[in-house]
Amino acid sequence: MTDSRDRRAKTEISFTVNGEPRKVHAYPMERLLDVLRQQLQLTGAKEGCGEGECGSCSVLMDGVLVNSCLVPVLQAEGASVVTIEGLAAGERLHFLQEAFLECGGAQCGICTPGMILASTHLLNGNPKPTMEEIREGLSGNLCRCTGYSQIVEAVAEAARRRTAS
Amino acid sequence: MRSNPSDYEMIAPGSLHAIVSLLANEPGVWVPIAGGTDVMVQYAAGKLAARKLVSIWNLPELRCIEVALGEIRIGAGCTYTDLRGSEVVGREFPLLHRAAQWTGGVANQNRGTIGGNIVNASPAADSLPALLVYDAELILVSARGERRLPYADFHIGYKKTRLANDELVQAVCLPRRFSEYFGYARKVGARNAQAISKVCIAALGRLADGVVEDVRIALGSVAPVPLRLTQTEQTIRGKAIDSHLLLLAKKAAAAEIRPIDDIRSTAKYRAAVAGNLLAEFLNRLSSEQAGSERGRVKGILAQWNRLSIDEATEAILPCCGSKAWAQGMVARRPLGDEAALLAASEDTWRNLTPSDRKEAFRNHPRIGESKPADSSSTQSPSAKSVEWSAQEQRNIADADSAVKIALANANQEYERRFNNIFIVCATGKSVSEILGILRRRLKNDAETELQEATEQQRQITEIRLRKWLQG
Repeated sequence: MTDSRDRRAKTEISFTVNGEPRKVHAYPMERLLDVLRQQLQLTGAKEGCGEGECGSCSVLMDGVLVNSCLVPVLQAEGASVVTIEGLAAGERLHFLQEAFLECGGAQCGICTPGMILASTHLLNGNPKPTMEEIREGLSGNLCRCTGYSQIVEAVAEAARRRTAS
Repeated sequence: MRSNPSDYEMIAPGSLHAIVSLLANEPGVWVPIAGGTDVMVQYAAGKLAARKLVSIWNLPELRCIEVALGEIRIGAGCTYTDLRGSEVVGREFPLLHRAAQWTGGVANQNRGTIGGNIVNASPAADSLPALLVYDAELILVSARGERRLPYADFHIGYKKTRLANDELVQAVCLPRRFSEYFGYARKVGARNAQAISKVCIAALGRLADGVVEDVRIALGSVAPVPLRLTQTEQTIRGKAIDSHLLLLAKKAAAAEIRPIDDIRSTAKYRAAVAGNLLAEFLNRLSSEQAGSERGRVKGILAQWNRLSIDEATEAILPCCGSKAWAQGMVARRPLGDEAALLAASEDTWRNLTPSDRKEAFRNHPRIGESKPADSSSTQSPSAKSVEWSAQEQRNIADADSAVKIALANANQEYERRFNNIFIVCATGKSVSEILGILRRRLKNDAETELQEATEQQRQITEIRLRKWLQG
């Protein structure tokens, strides 16, 4: 019994969030999403479906796009996590954020953090994606407002500007 | 009902050895969790029965693709993104590569693993039909040692497998003997990404001498397990692909599958789609053969394009006995495909002088004879041209002697009148037809007759060029 209770105790998890080393006390099966939102007050990642279908909880973990609702926090031990809050440099918005604003890629805003992180992940691996590749890169992120066209256009515009500069 | 994280234990021992020991000490107690794309969904729904989880995520022992001489070994911890990024998987196992692209969206491909897909044992899993047709074998590991099992024997019922409660799937082995097969894979679902398939198919086929030499077909979401259609394969093997075979194959498949009605689709729809996917596969396999013939034609032309002028002239001369025509063709190289070759020939032929055209006529034997009419000609026709003439005049050789005599007389009359041999495209024409044509053309004036003979030679050349492209 003692053994079992000990193991169910919270554990200390060390990881980097938006470039800063953080330590949290959490149950190992707590979802990364909940730890980010509740303990670290990083509420940019949203809970949509809670089962990895909608992408609104997307974050980057060691540079890779993941649904934070499906990541037990124990598996984030030692990882580097980037959330939407980590993209802007102070007052200066990230170039994808600017493109989303200009192209009307954000409406109600629930999907937007996930969309922008999925776009970041896409452009990191493929700086000049085709429209088809943009759609595929965002296919795990659902939006109920825009109809997607403005979002896809925002990513294409961001890619154009970035490769032009 | 959401789960409470305080009800669960989870550890991450960090090495395969430590994990296997843990499973050995408390068999059936610890449930492995890799990228969580299935386990965490059950957890979120309050349906995760296990209370103790052991993380196998990102274990180096499980996350590598080894390429050996006869097979590749994909570590069970490889993600779909890993599979998509693997050059050898893309080249030799394209059906698995494609299934990896369909599974979930980008984020789930970054976390979902091939081992998880196998152990989760869903009949709808996108990658499993591919494993069936590629004859995958699994390496299972426990403290007792390793064992190999054909993947086809692994799933024994709905979400039931042969995995012992102290075992892990360590790797999937794929034999490297299918890269020459034609592959076909398709998923039918509500949308391409994320949606679980209503029906999915992976199929391999190989044709030889116009019949299906080997075929391997597997379907997802049409039975309690991913299903290999062995009876259907047997129906197809050794036969030519035609509409009758499509019917037989569809019938055999309908008898093998056991689809159900569920939230995503109906049994009726699934059965119809399964039959259509099978037919589409066989049609593509059949047109793939046509495609490979086109490829062969291109190869023959590419070779001819590389020959010296003299060699290339000699090679193409049997198609039309005019030296000027052959030289004209050689000057138009490179010619890439059949259409370009035929167009070049027409153009060259149209622009020849009458004497060049007559040289081509003289290279043929008289209709009803086998040796060229003009024995004084400086060059005798090649063996190939003589052989083709015999084929073209096959109907005449079989004709009775009275008709042959009539033909010989008409030939003599023609030569006296036009000072050249009678040229007709004999392929597919009967002797009496040819005799009729000859008698009609005897009434032509010289100019009209030259035009007719020119057109007949054009037709002969076209037929011969097509034969020539067969190599």
